[in-house]
Amino acid sequence: MRADLKHAFRMLVKAPAFASIAILTLALGIGANTAIFSLIHDLFLRGLPFKEPSRIVHLYNSDKARDLVDVAISAPRYQLYRDGQTIFDGFAAENSFAFTLTGLGDPVQIFGGRLTSNYFDVLGVRPILGRNFLPAEEETVDVALVTKNFWQKRLGGDPNVIGRSIILDGTPHTIVGVLPNMPAAWFGASPTAEVWTTKPFQIPGFSYAQIMRGSFFLRVVGRVKPGITIQQARAALPSLEQSYRAQHPNNIDSTLTTMLRTLPEDVTRNFRAGFVTLFAAVSFVLLIACSNVANLLLVRFSGRRREIALRMALGASRTSIARLFVFESLLVSVIAGAVGAFVTWHFVPLVPRMASNFLPLEANDATSLSIPVLVFTIGLSILTGLLIGIYPALQGSHADLVDGLKEGGRGTKGSLRQQHFRKILVGAQVALSVTLLAGAALLIASFIRLSQQNIGFRSQNLWTGAVTLPTSQYPDPSARQRFVEQALHELRRVSGLESATISGDIPLVGFSRYLYARGDRDVPPVEKRAIAPGHDVAPGYFKTWGVPLLAGREFNEHDSADGQKVCLISQAGAKEIYPGENPIGKSLLLAGLPWEIIGIVGDVRSVRVAEAPGMEIYRPWAQHNFPFVNITVRSNLKVDPVTRLVQSALAKVNPGLAIATPQTMDAIVAQALGQARLMTWLLGIFAGTALLLATVGIYGAVGYTVAQRTGEIAVRMALGAQANDVLRMIVRQGMTPVAIGLVVGLGSAFALGRLLGTQLYQVSPHNPVLLATTAILLAVVALIACLFPARRATLVNPMQALRAE
Amino acid sequence: MIRLHNVERSYPLGRGQLFYVLRDIDLDISQGDFVSVMGPSGAGKSTLLHILGMHDHGWTGEYFFDETATHHLKAKERASLRNEKIGFVFQQYHLLDDLTVYENLDIPLSYRHYSKSERTALVGDALDRFQIVGKKDLYPRQLSGGQQQLVGVARAIIAQPKLLLADEPTGNLHSSQGEEIMKLFRKLNEEGMTIVQVTHSEKNASYGKRIVQLRDGWIV
Repeated sequence: MRADLKHAFRMLVKAPAFASIAILTLALGIGANTAIFSLIHDLFLRGLPFKEPSRIVHLYNSDKARDLVDVAISAPRYQLYRDGQTIFDGFAAENSFAFTLTGLGDPVQIFGGRLTSNYFDVLGVRPILGRNFLPAEEETVDVALVTKNFWQKRLGGDPNVIGRSIILDGTPHTIVGVLPNMPAAWFGASPTAEVWTTKPFQIPGFSYAQIMRGSFFLRVVGRVKPGITIQQARAALPSLEQSYRAQHPNNIDSTLTTMLRTLPEDVTRNFRAGFVTLFAAVSFVLLIACSNVANLLLVRFSGRRREIALRMALGASRTSIARLFVFESLLVSVIAGAVGAFVTWHFVPLVPRMASNFLPLEANDATSLSIPVLVFTIGLSILTGLLIGIYPALQGSHADLVDGLKEGGRGTKGSLRQQHFRKILVGAQVALSVTLLAGAALLIASFIRLSQQNIGFRSQNLWTGAVTLPTSQYPDPSARQRFVEQALHELRRVSGLESATISGDIPLVGFSRYLYARGDRDVPPVEKRAIAPGHDVAPGYFKTWGVPLLAGREFNEHDSADGQKVCLISQAGAKEIYPGENPIGKSLLLAGLPWEIIGIVGDVRSVRVAEAPGMEIYRPWAQHNFPFVNITVRSNLKVDPVTRLVQSALAKVNPGLAIATPQTMDAIVAQALGQARLMTWLLGIFAGTALLLATVGIYGAVGYTVAQRTGEIAVRMALGAQANDVLRMIVRQGMTPVAIGLVVGLGSAFALGRLLGTQLYQVSPHNPVLLATTAILLAVVALIACLFPARRATLVNPMQALRAE
Repeated sequence: MIRLHNVERSYPLGRGQLFYVLRDIDLDISQGDFVSVMGPSGAGKSTLLHILGMHDHGWTGEYFFDETATHHLKAKERASLRNEKIGFVFQQYHLLDDLTVYENLDIPLSYRHYSKSERTALVGDALDRFQIVGKKDLYPRQLSGGQQQLVGVARAIIAQPKLLLADEPTGNLHSSQGEEIMKLFRKLNEEGMTIVQVTHSEKNASYGKRIVQLRDGWIV
């Protein structure tokens, strides 16, 4: 066996051109598979660092009739479920939150949440220092848990961290524990969560009554008791729902249905379909690469009939000959695997940087080549080696001893079976390529449509940053209104800033939903009211964002807290809610109060780029606000100078405030399209690779056929065939398996279209134009690949070729 | 029918030097002639045959075929003339392995402007004439050497050429098979076909009407 391996290595060294083409081809396929597997491993297989994560479930609410999907749980519902359930060992809730940290250098915004005291106990996370929260601390005590990163970077790894106080939103909090760094998959990657406090049922700006009316903001988890299945846990939910409906019939969330998912399922559901597509794509690339190399091996082994015959004459068995060849193919694939893994190791860590906003990957420790990834690569390499080697080896080992010795070292034409096998390989390559190309074409078309959507505002030169106003300093709406007036006053004095505004949220980042109803009709009960994104905006908002006023007027200084409650609605909302009517002057019921519609503004895609515009409600900041502030300025300057200008203007109003996540709206829009863009890029690259490999495969197969049939072509020419006859013959024979592959590929693209369905925007997965274009593209490329060797065939000199025979 | 005047064929040796395969060839072949070209290996016999067959275009001089100055023709015109007037028999038969006897006979017709029905009729005639009807569905590997060459000859004349060129037609056959082929050639010649064969065999040459001897590219 060692001698065989040595021989296989020597044979590869002797044929550097074959070895490098085969290794590079396979390295492309194995590398792409390793890259995608390493991402899949990090995202799907590695698991969350919680105790038995598959027993932890995430509870969420839905009401498809009101277009509410996967919304959070309200405090009263959480409390009722917590007290009434018998299926969970632990039941906990988190209210995601951004804190302003002061007293440790410049004020900064840090992210985390407000938790029920048992939250980390339910997840099964033990602090590395100190302890988790105690039940007694849940409602009244200002305590904090911080991550290891926070402790080391912000507190210098202080050994006396437990008991130390940090100022969050102006209030001192005592650190009771240091947690390991939390996984991005559950807590988010950008920004990273660092600090958690208690008091989960309080939201600054919300009264207790508002919260208890059913506003939903809690992310609820439960640990299923041992012996209870997920299905049993699901089955127990309806009775809890009924209890809630019975006890809180007028709450805004009383009609919502509660559902649950296990945590591993929950954190991967958004990109599961995408990764299935990508894994299928790289598998196709590998199969195409395999068929190319199998073709090369078939030619190579068939051309060594003299060596085989000699070995057999000296006593070698067919098995030992086949083993020799399999070793050679294994050697090729293992070297290719090593090359592929090396390239992957360098390139895959780039992915978290490109995709941190939608893939929960930590840039530092994710996507490195771990043991499972290496095992995958080695296993795949061996499998590939066997896949490409076995048939050619068996064919090669069937050489006829006498013929082989007679022919000497000359290459042979190969049997009819081998020719058929080669045609099947070409057809399969084409079928796989056309499937992949069709998928890429659909995604590219979808992405183009998505990126061409009018998002409703001018994102260019728009800077935005978030600020949380400490409730200790800004306890009520009027205090927050004063802050906004002062901040806008300072911002508008800064040269370099064209315009500035403030709002409670910004498009594509976060939004609040409000129940509404027409005030001039019978008002439906709360649980039946429609729901729409609502935005609290300061003067200058529409000008700064570039959202047109279509009818009526904008907010002005007369729309004060004491004045008539007024609002603006979107054009799509006006058409939907007031069809054929002029909504201006009519009243809209919001939170039980009538708000007069004073204008209609252009549609903005505030939730998702892919979501068609609908009802959007705008209220003046002076009349409705929360302590969460988004500053937006229009400026030609870059992000950092604008941030400095805004920070210094803000410091004049309140030096204790920090700006979180300063960025351009262009970046936010790009991030909103990021997943679609990444998918499009990756699938485009894989499809391009597939096309390249298939082209090389077709060219190689036809070229080999021409070389093999030089004598036959010469005879035909001697018998009267013209150059065009030869050209037609070679092209026809080369294109026959291509045509069959195209038909099969289109069929499979049609069948697999539904896999892409959920990832497409305004493009049918069975779009006939795209499928036909893909087929034509591949046919043209294949034709060109056939034409080169066919043209060479027409240059055969019959005299020389026949003499050589 | 054929007139060669001062035909020369050479290959470059590098540094501007030429290696001459044929020198100053003057040769006339009349309609109905049966010429045997003889000479030692490397004398230029096959080259002469390929020039006559218009496979080779790299020569100089004059070549008239039925008064047509082929040396003035373009490659495509020569190919057209060749298809119309010339048939070829090879030493190694050169039947196409993956085609049946019937299909091999059909090949030359497929490259000429024959209708489907004409092709069927001509192939049928050839099978009948050469008494190989029973072998029409066999592949070349299923035939003996003599049978293969019989098919080769049938294929060469199926498009009714005026000139039949044969390059060592019996070179791969044993003597009795070779004799059969030569008898067939004589019969074809008697029926009016002009034949030029290259051969090493005096016996085969004796089937022809005259012999052209080549040595080192010269007619001697």
